[in-house]
Amino acid sequence: MADVAAQWDAGELGCGELVLELRYRLSALRPGEILQLIALDAGAPADIPAWCRMTGHTLVTTQHPVYLIQRKED
Amino acid sequence: MAGKFCVSITHAKDNTDKATVGFVVANAAAGSGKESLVFLSVEGVRLAQKGYAQDIHEEGFAPLRELMENFAKAGGTIYVCSPCFKKRKLDENNLVAGASIVGGAKLVEFLSDGSPCVSY
Repeated sequence: MADVAAQWDAGELGCGELVLELRYRLSALRPGEILQLIALDAGAPADIPAWCRMTGHTLVTTQHPVYLIQRKED
Repeated sequence: MAGKFCVSITHAKDNTDKATVGFVVANAAAGSGKESLVFLSVEGVRLAQKGYAQDIHEEGFAPLRELMENFAKAGGTIYVCSPCFKKRKLDENNLVAGASIVGGAKLVEFLSDGSPCVSY
């Protein structure tokens, strides 16, 4: 399993609130570091991959509600 | 002519005229070969529940249930706003064909390359 630099349990947070906070959380990491996200929202399985495609961060693994996201290079 | 087209529908039984016309236009997009998306939000999320649209039939239009079925058969996609759905305590295991629950990022991705969007 990949090394996890930070964890965030987003609980039921979803939609814009989830991805905006996710943006801040990933920007606090160094490039290449991995955030473990727990997102219970029913929209997360569709949203998290879409958000990663748009922002350039790497979705390492997905097993809803757990997502490993690697911060992109600067 | 390829391309994308989005129809945003924010009404259900609170305005059956708008809900119906939204799907009529969505079917026009699908029938024109567009990659077609209906985004259901606010009250519109109720349309994503199987059976809900059964008794909606606006004069001069096909029954809404039929319009929605035709849209799905044509390959149309229905995005259902997650927080709107959750707020109304609807059943995510009882969705109509072609529908999936998403958050805003999926809609933003669909629209990001310049897709037009019309709202009802």
